[in-house]
Amino acid sequence: MRAIRAIAVNTLREALRDRVLYLFLGFAVLLLVSSKLFGMLTVGDEGKVIKDLGLFGVQFFSMLIAVLMSVLLISREVDSRTVYNILAKPVSRWQFLIGKYAGLLATVLVNLALMVALLVLVVLLYEGQLDARLLIAGAMTLMEMTVVAAFATLFAVLTRPMLGSVLTLAVFVIGHLTRDLWLLTGHLQGEGVRWLIGAAYYLLPNLERFNFKTEVVHSLPVPAAAVGWAVVYGLAYTGVILLLACVRFGHKDLA
Amino acid sequence: MPEVYTSSSDGGAGVAEYELTVRDVHKTFDPGLLRRKIHALRGVTFEVERGEVFGFLGPNGAGKTTTIKAITGIIAVESGRIEIGGHAHAAPAAKRRLGFMSENPYFYNHLTGRELLRFYGELLGMDRDRIRRRSGEVLERVAMQDHADRPLRSLSKGMLQRMSLAQALLGSPQLLVLDEPMSGLDPLGRRDVRDIILAEKGRGTTVFFSSHVIPDVETICDRVAILIAGRVRAAGSVHELVARRAEMYEATFVGTDPERLRTPLVSTHVGGDASWVRVESDHRDELIRELATIDARLVSLTPVRSSLEDFLLGQFAIEEEP
Repeated sequence: MRAIRAIAVNTLREALRDRVLYLFLGFAVLLLVSSKLFGMLTVGDEGKVIKDLGLFGVQFFSMLIAVLMSVLLISREVDSRTVYNILAKPVSRWQFLIGKYAGLLATVLVNLALMVALLVLVVLLYEGQLDARLLIAGAMTLMEMTVVAAFATLFAVLTRPMLGSVLTLAVFVIGHLTRDLWLLTGHLQGEGVRWLIGAAYYLLPNLERFNFKTEVVHSLPVPAAAVGWAVVYGLAYTGVILLLACVRFGHKDLA
Repeated sequence: MPEVYTSSSDGGAGVAEYELTVRDVHKTFDPGLLRRKIHALRGVTFEVERGEVFGFLGPNGAGKTTTIKAITGIIAVESGRIEIGGHAHAAPAAKRRLGFMSENPYFYNHLTGRELLRFYGELLGMDRDRIRRRSGEVLERVAMQDHADRPLRSLSKGMLQRMSLAQALLGSPQLLVLDEPMSGLDPLGRRDVRDIILAEKGRGTTVFFSSHVIPDVETICDRVAILIAGRVRAAGSVHELVARRAEMYEATFVGTDPERLRTPLVSTHVGGDASWVRVESDHRDELIRELATIDARLVSLTPVRSSLEDFLLGQFAIEEEP
């Protein structure tokens, strides 16, 4: 456990000392500020516009960090051969990989926490009251990123860095369209195609499960069961993807 | 400290006499479709005894670094067995005995030297106090205590090499595996590394290192193995290996041209009135007799001390023969 924590902390430290991440934060701040501007241009429901744009920004920048960090997650360690010194220590390959994943997730968490805190502050200043439900939306975005980061880790192990990032981005996009895939099966004629699309629906992650933005923005009730199932789904999905990544990484030559 | 047991070839169990055992290790790299596979290791076998300094020699591409990567678990081997202190090399118990320094040190640029040692100390399972104490000790040993708080990206290659050695020593390893530890160092740096290796040997640490710098190997190694084209071509003490090579003599004479001599000569050189030839010891007396017969004057006859370099070059020549 200490080895995993040490690798995760090192990954987080490396990311935080990397100025690219501060740029993302700058962009996020810019987006949150611009959401306030949009709010001023909107007649009525300005608070909703700020929340909507703000939560979109939180999700988008978190995804961007996960995707872009996946480029360097494993490849930098292998290319720069820093992994050699790690694996020569009493550290299993799976511990190394889980440590890198945890570091990636921690980086996303730090940035996400800062962005959500800023959003809550902006909404507080604008509406004069604290909207704690934004924290639920932020937490569910983190849950979504838990799955996306697991895919980023798997692709970092399976493919070349750039392709891995493209595939992670593809999973993010498709993950928000899987409900449409299910609806599509109802309109298809061929049995084989329907089976194929159906299989894709069950295999691909359904990231819309983590989307509670509508409920939070429009002050609708957030069903506790839906949140609970989304957490279980996210953890199970992440577990399976990380297991696959660990199995593959366990047999990979790092020369 | 518990004794380490290993199974021997007769099936029994005894105290491991070797700190490192590499037996019949094969490794093939597959560069991809339509390209020939590369047989990097073809049954590499050798043993490193406890407490000795063992040199691993060979030309570029011989498989030295691949062997070291196999020992440290960076690559998986297809067949064969590697044991460290009687433990399978990938087992945590084996890794705890190991200190590794890679060829050309690669570190995290965002860390300082002290942060790097803290990170590796945590990976070694050391507690904070021990990390702090050992960091101070190893930094002093490699003379880096004054540069430990500088970012690694600002250090020179020699300094990085020292930091690499420091992290390898951090966990008080029983086996130190060093891949080309002297490469790229100036004479002073090489001497320092040599001194550190000998100091570690004095502490009872087993040292296994690869090198191209033959004089260093000759000076500090108890035994060496020569790897060529993925196979160990020879192993033994430097004295043993050099003794295997036929002894030669150098003769200087005047009064005849070396090309007119019937005695088989290894090499010749003509400079002014005198000629210089090298002859194998078996033909020494024949040369003396022949020079006397043709009234040439033998000026000097001295035995040539064969070096490890001569032996190594001889092995390369055998490999290159069609």
